[in-house]
Amino acid sequence: MATQAVREWLGIQQFPVATQNKLHEYLGKLKQENVNTLTILVMGKGGVGKSSTVNSIIGERVAAVSAFQSEVLRPVICSRSRAEFTLNIIDTPGIVEGGYVNEQALEVIKRSLLDKTIDILLYVDRLDAYRVDTLDRQVIKAITDTFGKGIWQRGLIVLTHAQLSPPDGLSYEDFFAKRSEALLKYIRLGARIKKQEFQENSIPVVLVENSGRCKTDDNGEKVLPNGIAWLPNLVKTITDVIMNGGKSILVDQKLIDGPNPNDRGKFFIPLILAFQYFFVVKRIQGAIKRDIAKESKPLWELRDMGLANRQF
Amino acid sequence: MALYAPAQLLSAPIGGAASLSGRRRRRHSAQTRGPKPYPSPTVNARNHETLISFSSVPSSVSAQAGDSKPDPSPPSLETRRAKPRNRKTLISAAAAATAAATGAFFLNLGSPPPPPPPPGGGGGGGGGGGGEGFWSRIFSPLMANARDEEGGSAEWDSHGLPANIVVQLNKLSGLKRYKISEILFFDRRRGSLVAGTEDSFFEMVSLRPNGVYTKAQLQKELETLASCGMFEKVDLEGKTKPDGTLALTVSFTESTWQSADAFRCINVGLMQQTKQMDLDPDMTDREKLEYFRSQERDYRRRIERSRPCLLPVPVQREVMQMLREQGKVSARLLQRIRDRVQKWYHDEGYACAQVVNFGNLNTREVVCEVVEGDITQLVIQFQDKLGNVVEGNTQLPVIRRELPKQLRPGHVFNIEAGKQALRNINSLALFSNIEVNPRPDEKSEGGIIVEIKLKELEQKSAEVSTEWSIVPGRNGRPTLASIQPGGTVSFEHRNIKGLNRSILGSVTSSNLLNPQDDLSFKLDYVHPYLDGVYNPRNRTFRASCFNSRKLSPVFTGGPGVDEVPPVWIDRVGFKTNITESFTRQSKFTYGLVMEEIITRDETSSICTHGSRALPSGGLSMDGPPTTLSGTGTDRMAFAQANITRDNTKFVNGTVVGERDVFQLDQGLGIGSNFPFFNRHQLTLTRFIQLKKVEEGANKPPPPVLVLHGHYGGCVGDLPSYDAFTLGGPYSVRGYNMGELGACRNILELAGELRIPVRNTHVYLFAEHGTDLGSSKDVKGNPTEFFRRAGQGSSYGVGAKLGLVRAEYAVDHNSGTGAVFFRFGERF
Repeated sequence: MATQAVREWLGIQQFPVATQNKLHEYLGKLKQENVNTLTILVMGKGGVGKSSTVNSIIGERVAAVSAFQSEVLRPVICSRSRAEFTLNIIDTPGIVEGGYVNEQALEVIKRSLLDKTIDILLYVDRLDAYRVDTLDRQVIKAITDTFGKGIWQRGLIVLTHAQLSPPDGLSYEDFFAKRSEALLKYIRLGARIKKQEFQENSIPVVLVENSGRCKTDDNGEKVLPNGIAWLPNLVKTITDVIMNGGKSILVDQKLIDGPNPNDRGKFFIPLILAFQYFFVVKRIQGAIKRDIAKESKPLWELRDMGLANRQF
Repeated sequence: MALYAPAQLLSAPIGGAASLSGRRRRRHSAQTRGPKPYPSPTVNARNHETLISFSSVPSSVSAQAGDSKPDPSPPSLETRRAKPRNRKTLISAAAAATAAATGAFFLNLGSPPPPPPPPGGGGGGGGGGGGEGFWSRIFSPLMANARDEEGGSAEWDSHGLPANIVVQLNKLSGLKRYKISEILFFDRRRGSLVAGTEDSFFEMVSLRPNGVYTKAQLQKELETLASCGMFEKVDLEGKTKPDGTLALTVSFTESTWQSADAFRCINVGLMQQTKQMDLDPDMTDREKLEYFRSQERDYRRRIERSRPCLLPVPVQREVMQMLREQGKVSARLLQRIRDRVQKWYHDEGYACAQVVNFGNLNTREVVCEVVEGDITQLVIQFQDKLGNVVEGNTQLPVIRRELPKQLRPGHVFNIEAGKQALRNINSLALFSNIEVNPRPDEKSEGGIIVEIKLKELEQKSAEVSTEWSIVPGRNGRPTLASIQPGGTVSFEHRNIKGLNRSILGSVTSSNLLNPQDDLSFKLDYVHPYLDGVYNPRNRTFRASCFNSRKLSPVFTGGPGVDEVPPVWIDRVGFKTNITESFTRQSKFTYGLVMEEIITRDETSSICTHGSRALPSGGLSMDGPPTTLSGTGTDRMAFAQANITRDNTKFVNGTVVGERDVFQLDQGLGIGSNFPFFNRHQLTLTRFIQLKKVEEGANKPPPPVLVLHGHYGGCVGDLPSYDAFTLGGPYSVRGYNMGELGACRNILELAGELRIPVRNTHVYLFAEHGTDLGSSKDVKGNPTEFFRRAGQGSSYGVGAKLGLVRAEYAVDHNSGTGAVFFRFGERF
């Protein structure tokens, strides 16, 4: 993995002061909770704006972004520290290829994360995509299968391209609600989380606009059409999620290899064998015996045995 | 084998001084006598006793290419192997034999002088052979034709009398040969002509219309008729016809006895025939009375000693009905009763059963004496190629255990038991020719010796066969280099030690120029009767070395996936098992398998992982591992068991019944990576008959509903080549092999409705197969890697065309249908 040495987080200084203050405030909160390192994993389909989001958060151009082409071929980690606090953001390539989930890419991501602890998962998608389909579900499923269900307790949904004018007759809020509802539903299905459980620990949806033409408010902060400054909001939500609990995911060899289905239930094989012998083989044997007893013998055979009783 | 012509054998020894009237005193019994094959004490019918006798032996006539000599060969069953391969011919002769036995009945009277050979009869009278008191004529269709021709060739003399006058028999000239143009029967009692040629009298008269006879012959005929017991009085009259021929009228009065209302059937097989004591004409009335009393006593004793017969109550009741309806017991009635009783026996397969006698006439109860054909001896004979009796290599207990116990001495011979024996012996695959013949026992009257004649196959055989195969080369065109010589070398050593043990080996290569490429070999040793040949438990030990090469359906792409590089699974191993047969179809097999599995790619080099073409055109080589060890080579030993319960049977050519199979592979932790697993499969199939139908040849088969369920699962180590695959003609129709997935647990459900149409059937089916979500539990998840659905359904219709099934199946995943042609049965 393209690892960069931990550098001072200089990008933060380029943010408007209001943003800087808020970020410091949230990071300070985390520090109080004895959280000194924050590792964020950014995943999603290709071309949804993962790298741009990473750039926006860091405030530097750490990941190459191109409009029409996937630039990231392997996961890229960039680490920034500020005031004894380290922020790691892992940018990953899109895991969809040719209309299918690219397990190979997923495998590469998984292996590159060996011995890392993931605190936050940012699942990135676009706000301006109107539909969700089975591919989304497969992507969610692939992520879940890779890191386990628990990762969604530390998961955030990031909807990029937030600065849009919704289609006719819908307010921005409605559109956002509808879009996030549809996406959450697919996440729930893909991750196979129970409905009730899902409602209790709802996955927050955050809007992001990475475009340089994003509107700014009086303080120079980038704001969304609904008037929220998105970057502080994102960091705040991240902080909330961490505060809410859930477990960070340690990517170890076991997780990478996945559960070995070949080992499961091996212990019970003698029991299964005994069951099969007594309840399957014996039963079939009994049935064969009954067949033999029940076998309709031809009349000449019955007569020979004196069983026909001279009736036939 | 001999052909059995439905010929009728008429043996008619003629009573010495048979005068035609006043013969009737007291007809005590109408007796039947075994004509030939065994020299029985000849019954002499004296003037005062008239006897009706029928043949008592399952005789039939073998007419071999113009040879009309009566041959006492009984119905026989046989099968023959055309070649020292397991090729069966039909079980022949059974029907013919039965027919012959039915047709052959004898009217027979014992009393000497053998008549002179009929003049001009040119081969008409075959030498009777055997006893003095017999002569016989055979009226096979062949002979009748011969006679017709003679008649037509003007070899007869005109009667030389005015037309239309009635001539008594004794008025005819002894020197002329008369042509009989017409034979009429005149029943004096009824005062009318007997109409129809179906009447039982016609069988008795040996004269045929358009035949040429001398006066002496006609007189003989008259004597025969007079003494056969059917007639109280019989006379022959000629009526001259303008064309010089004679119209013959047989005027008769039928014999009758007191009416009876009870019927009894007894089995007199293996009993001594009653001896007729001579009745001295000089006896006083008292002596005569005494004599008759003693005869009656003897007869009662005979009835008491006889064994009950197999004739069922309904048939007996039917006969009783016949007796009651008739009133007086007449000869014709007795014939009808005999025919009815014999018909029942022959219909039921008792080919050797014969009505031999009617006794106790002139009482209220008619006693029908039957020889059912009790087996007195079972003889097993081996023959060499020329038919000479030789000492066989096969041990007799091997054959004996295949015989149904109904063929043992003491049982009644039934042709079905014979057929069963034939089938069972044939299934040993040791003999090229098998015959099961019932033969009359000469030492014991009415007894049957069952003869089993066997021709053994060569014990050792070796075979070399070669073939050319043309493999399409580049551009699909065969080139010179693509013509490959292939061949098989096999040897077989059968029936070692006469105990049906065998060793069989074969080596096959489809490319002899480069045999190491694909060389398949097989070496089998089979050891039956593991518990001893006398033990009824039927266990067979088998050991075999084998190799095989198969395309793995695990590495198959789903719909829309480009060609997946194939993975070949090569297995080489050693297998031993013991099979215990419970019935012909139900068996339990258990044993050990040791094998080495090597997975190879297209180029025959060992591959460790499945691969998939990437959209970019490259090949992703990190697919599911092909072996457990990950090296492309696995070695393992495991136990294997299979229990099959199968009670299916054919109802008019359609399978009906139940079939359950449970198969288990139990890993023992021996081999690469110490494989320990329990892989099990349970298959349940029900063939449910939806309508009752009459069974029999050419009857339509019933509609059948087939329900099928298959569950498979594996706990523990599961290499990809042992994963269950979904899809294919034997899994879910309408998909390719493995198109739906490869999984750890599998469930398949299928239903098929078969509707008979003419000689075949059409069917509707619906099938579903699912991986039960277990695809991810196979290492590398081959289902997902090759983008397969993991489950699928299909439905469709099809028709059976001979061996081929043509079906249209709709694949439910994509909703498209296709037509498939497949060999063999799905279930």
